Amino acid sequence: MTSRAGFDPASLVAGVILIALGGLLLLDQADVLELRFAYMLPAVLAAVGGILLACGLTGPPRGRG
Amino acid sequence: MVAGDRAGHHGAMTDEQPTAPTSTPEPPPRRLTRSSTDSLIAGVAGGLGRHLNVDPLAIRITFVILSFAGGLGVLAYLALLVFVPTDDPAAPPLRWGLARTVGAGLLAVAALAFLIPNWLWGPELTVLLAAGVVVYLLVRMIRDNGTSRLSHVAARVAIGVVLLALAAGGFAAAAAGSALGGGIAIAGLIIACGIGLVGGAFRGGARWLIAPALVLALPLGAVAAADLDVRGTWGDRTFRPVDVAELSGGYEMGAGSMKIDLRDIELPPGRTDLRLELGMGEIQVLVPDDMCVTTHAGVGIGAVDTGDGEQGGIDFEVDADQRLAPGVESLHLDVDVGVGALQVGDSLFDFGPGERWRDRDGFDTLQSGTSRAACEGAA
Repeated sequence: MTSRAGFDPASLVAGVILIALGGLLLLDQADVLELRFAYMLPAVLAAVGGILLACGLTGPPRGRG
Repeated sequence: MVAGDRAGHHGAMTDEQPTAPTSTPEPPPRRLTRSSTDSLIAGVAGGLGRHLNVDPLAIRITFVILSFAGGLGVLAYLALLVFVPTDDPAAPPLRWGLARTVGAGLLAVAALAFLIPNWLWGPELTVLLAAGVVVYLLVRMIRDNGTSRLSHVAARVAIGVVLLALAAGGFAAAAAGSALGGGIAIAGLIIACGIGLVGGAFRGGARWLIAPALVLALPLGAVAAADLDVRGTWGDRTFRPVDVAELSGGYEMGAGSMKIDLRDIELPPGRTDLRLELGMGEIQVLVPDDMCVTTHAGVGIGAVDTGDGEQGGIDFEVDADQRLAPGVESLHLDVDVGVGALQVGDSLFDFGPGERWRDRDGFDTLQSGTSRAACEGAA
């Protein structure tokens, strides 16, 4: 599903997900919010699942095996 | 061996499948090399950037950031400098003689001994040496017989072993770094990986950043959820306050065994609060068997036993309240444990080697009935 040469949607999706996850962890470390397992476990699973889904739907990046 | 010899040799073999002739030759495999043109020190970052199709400046910044994480960046740079050949055709080819291999191995052991003191003569050294021998033999097999199917399998196994070891090391380092207060830096690295992925998406992709970002994110998430903070005192400490004033500041430890012996203390009428914080380990609070004790405990992962039976699990709180008679002397424990256990009882217990929390038999937890009677003023 790579729409044009040089663009990898999976990297974009994974990047956005990681920025969101990192931001969540940063807010916890800065004591702005308090993460508990009840929220953290689904968040991490959703992040990993979203990244895998994006990579699976888009296939390998162009020009690479 | 010239081309004609190789062709004749293959033609004489009968147990290999004949290969179909192809009209166009396959392109050579893209090989990681150090750059001789984009080089600040030895061309490692330039070569990595070219190989991964990312800006070498991002690689250099990553090396610098990792250098502050226990020297990891320096070690990684040195390892790549040793193992990755240069793309300069005038440079002498990389040859792995015995002396160079042993030298690189000794450097790695010295670096690890510097980073992790007191481990050198433990079982880790044997495991490390065995892993080194296995990887070396696999690499030799690949180099000596680079075209066979076995060599490809060996290459994949070697790469898998190395990647697994790196992931395990990164996972442990991230967990330890988070618990020791480096959570903000690690969260920043995860965000940096995300930004690198977004930027790399428009330059052909940078999916190689996903794995290291997750290796950092998973342990940090676990540490954050468990509220694990092991900064502070480590070890086995016993506190025996004799005056109520000593309780006002509470007790706090990073990791280890914290014993609070309150059997000789006289409580004033009314409620006395005691705050206890432990990142990882066990807390044992010793009180007279006729003392009124109430407890509020928050535990990331572990167990709590205040006399009403053991409660354990993940991310839970325990409120062991009692109905207090007016003016009765009571102790209220406010406990925060990241990973570990809390036990309130009336005698000391030492865990033996390999003994687990549930195997204990010498620590008498409070009889809830006795404590309740004390709280109601009947004791």
